[in-house]
Amino acid sequence: MPLRDSILSALHSIPDPEMPISIVDLGLLHDIQLDPAPTSSTLANGSSHINSDSAHVTITLLPTFIGCPALDMIAGDVRAKISALPGVSSVTVNWLNTPAWSVDRITAAGRASLKTHGVTVPAHGSHLHVAGHDAPQTVTLKTSALPCPYCGSKSTHLESAFGPTRCRTIYYCSACKNSFEHMKSI
Amino acid sequence: MNTTAPQLQNALVQLLFALADDKLLLGHRNSDWTGLGPILEEDIAFSHLAQDEIAHAQAIYEFIASMTAGNADDLAFNRTPAQFRSAHIVEVPDEFDWATAMARKFFCDHFDLLRLNRLAKSSNPDLAALASRIASEETLHVEHVDQWIVRLGRSTPEARKRLQRALDALAPLAVALWEPVENEQQLVTANLYPQSTDLSFESWAAKLQHVMKTANLKLTLPPRASALKSKAGRAGVHTSHLAPLLNEMCEVRRADPGAKW
Repeated sequence: MPLRDSILSALHSIPDPEMPISIVDLGLLHDIQLDPAPTSSTLANGSSHINSDSAHVTITLLPTFIGCPALDMIAGDVRAKISALPGVSSVTVNWLNTPAWSVDRITAAGRASLKTHGVTVPAHGSHLHVAGHDAPQTVTLKTSALPCPYCGSKSTHLESAFGPTRCRTIYYCSACKNSFEHMKSI
Repeated sequence: MNTTAPQLQNALVQLLFALADDKLLLGHRNSDWTGLGPILEEDIAFSHLAQDEIAHAQAIYEFIASMTAGNADDLAFNRTPAQFRSAHIVEVPDEFDWATAMARKFFCDHFDLLRLNRLAKSSNPDLAALASRIASEETLHVEHVDQWIVRLGRSTPEARKRLQRALDALAPLAVALWEPVENEQQLVTANLYPQSTDLSFESWAAKLQHVMKTANLKLTLPPRASALKSKAGRAGVHTSHLAPLLNEMCEVRRADPGAKW
């Protein structure tokens, strides 16, 4: 398997610490860069064996929220997993603010998996318009009925604008009496 | 930033300190409420938002550090009160009065979003990108506090009375958020901090009044000129509350300088 593919496959196996999907399906992966590894004298593990195929890997990720407390943990997971791959000599993980992450980056597979865990995701293209900020600020809760991920009923309402993490809200379904989570449009 | 004149660069640093210092102190003050929010959901929400403020401050300190070859932690924790550019409104304690906490957040969040939207149009592309990224999160802060203002304004006479009292008390300090940093006009002229009618004092006041109307509350803001009369937070002249606040905030770091976590 080409190195890039095995890296991508390894990244697919890393779950987000706070969401039940992989960091790739969550849309955090921005770029994978492969560079020739440093010379043998600078190998971190002190190995004298020079592997001409070994690479320095730079993984660039996008944070969901700038202040997400899971960022260090995710970066640590990525470093551990990728540096263990054959052909990898060292790993750098970068966080990038531009382009901004949005829920639009969550993959179809990610959306399907989240739904089975009771987390729904706003439709594509519904992220907040921010740059203009010209209209008067709305002061009503956006409680347009979301279909319940468990029973499909639209008898749902916003219970709390903040869920267990800052990127999620909590909804309640009056039909099947389950609460579920909905990701914010950011 | 290498191509920017030193005086302009210094003015930009002061402007970014004003933004980051406001956010750091507001985040610190609001984090005092963790465990004391009026209901569980709000306790979590308010704690999240306080954490956001501190994260935003950190990102801006890191940007300043990249401009000045400094260190973000040192910028946050190793400056004297006179080196802070925070406005007085984030320095005063809220005495654990929810109405005061909400009124302060109302003024500050609307002002932060406006500042960020101006910086999002900055001629410095890296700064514009960072500001735009933070603004998308700040929008959630504004929505959150607007909902609380309306909720309290339409609530019991006691809630209305307390919120009105807090709004009246804080209105002069809210206008003082607009005290410019030194040479701020040069930043406007250089398009580093662009000005526009939709991002002006009047548009900020109009947004506040729109929420006031929805909440059936009255807000009388002093004229903007009153904020420019005497030097205050943006010039490093602070309330007596700042020094003790910084002492508390920096206590652990100062107890063991350079400790690794």
